[in-house]
Amino acid sequence: MNRLARHGWCLATALVVPWLVLASPGPLKLAGVAPAWPVLWLLPWALVDGPLSGALAGAGLGLLLDGLHLGPITEIPALALLGWWWGRLGRQGPPIERSFNLGLLALLGTALLGASLILQGLLLGWSAAEAWLPAPALHTWLAQTLLTGLLAPLLCSLQLLLWRQQTSGGRG
Amino acid sequence: MQAGRRLRLPALRVVLQAWPWGLLLLALVGVRLSKGAGFSDAYALVSRPFWPGSAQGEWIRSAQSLNDQSRLRQLEVDNRRLRGLLELQGRGGREVAAPVISRQAGGWWQQLVIGGGELQGLRPGLPVLAPGGLLGRVASVTPTTATVALLTDPGSRVGVWVGRTQRHGLLTGIGTSRPVLRFLEKDPGVRPGDVVVTSPASTLVPPNLTVGVIQSVDDRAVPATEAVVQLSAPVEAVDWVQVRLP
Repeated sequence: MNRLARHGWCLATALVVPWLVLASPGPLKLAGVAPAWPVLWLLPWALVDGPLSGALAGAGLGLLLDGLHLGPITEIPALALLGWWWGRLGRQGPPIERSFNLGLLALLGTALLGASLILQGLLLGWSAAEAWLPAPALHTWLAQTLLTGLLAPLLCSLQLLLWRQQTSGGRG
Repeated sequence: MQAGRRLRLPALRVVLQAWPWGLLLLALVGVRLSKGAGFSDAYALVSRPFWPGSAQGEWIRSAQSLNDQSRLRQLEVDNRRLRGLLELQGRGGREVAAPVISRQAGGWWQQLVIGGGELQGLRPGLPVLAPGGLLGRVASVTPTTATVALLTDPGSRVGVWVGRTQRHGLLTGIGTSRPVLRFLEKDPGVRPGDVVVTSPASTLVPPNLTVGVIQSVDDRAVPATEAVVQLSAPVEAVDWVQVRLP
């Protein structure tokens, strides 16, 4: 376990996520909504490095991103849960490599992340609770889920390839 | 009979010979009936090179502008003094310009990160302006950056005022590009097109800053009328903002 996390530079690639969140590149937006960058980084990491590493990476990433955002809503629980789940999937059965599978996992993960944000907004009774009711929140949720699911086969395949080369190289 | 013929013939001849006078008489009647239009036009044509030129118009406009500026200065002094007496928020002092270095105006959070922070004198709560009007308020600062909560952010609430009807309301962000204006009474008498400015009684933001224009009004909202406001500051296009220091 934690084979990938031993490579310092591999872990440092997580810093690209907050950078992308801040830069928020316009061409990669759908209806003004950016993809869930943490999901696109976490999915291949957890699939290769296991549930514990995935959960820790998700929690760390969540801490980093919460610092960049306003308000009390947090991404930590959803990302930690996703890291753990994807880590278990990576350890059970044949390795997940197909584009469709990666896209589907990213789609489900982003949907879960968005649902956790909506739920927190409703539970915490944020100053404008109606903001988290269907109209605007549903738009963001659907757009982000769809966009992340579409980008995942392209980006996660490359990362999976890179991480697997690292881990197999380390073993050899 | 003969004498009569002699009398008539010279009269007819005189009339025929005096045709230029007849024409003159007709022309004068024409002038009278047209109230001298021909003369006025002819006069305008001849005197056109001597008309007051653009330089004179500029001179008058400059005098008018000077008058307006001095009146504005005087009114601002008066306004500051009166607001001081009432202990209300003033229009603020100098403005610090800062570039927009990160823009997240869509998605779950509605915020900007600007390239100015504590070192430039910024602190949480200060109003952030862009060409067009109020954009939001500083939510947090680091030494060199500041995060701005936009008016569209779900956590944003700003007291505003519709000048035409002189009604107060609360501008609430709902996570879309158009915040909702909630009035305090059932029938505020507003209509689409009314301009919304920050409240003169606000203690959070400077008064009378342009916020936007009412786009639609929902009279059936409960408990009071609501309106959707189109913000006047273009969040997606603005590259530099001004933070107004106290």
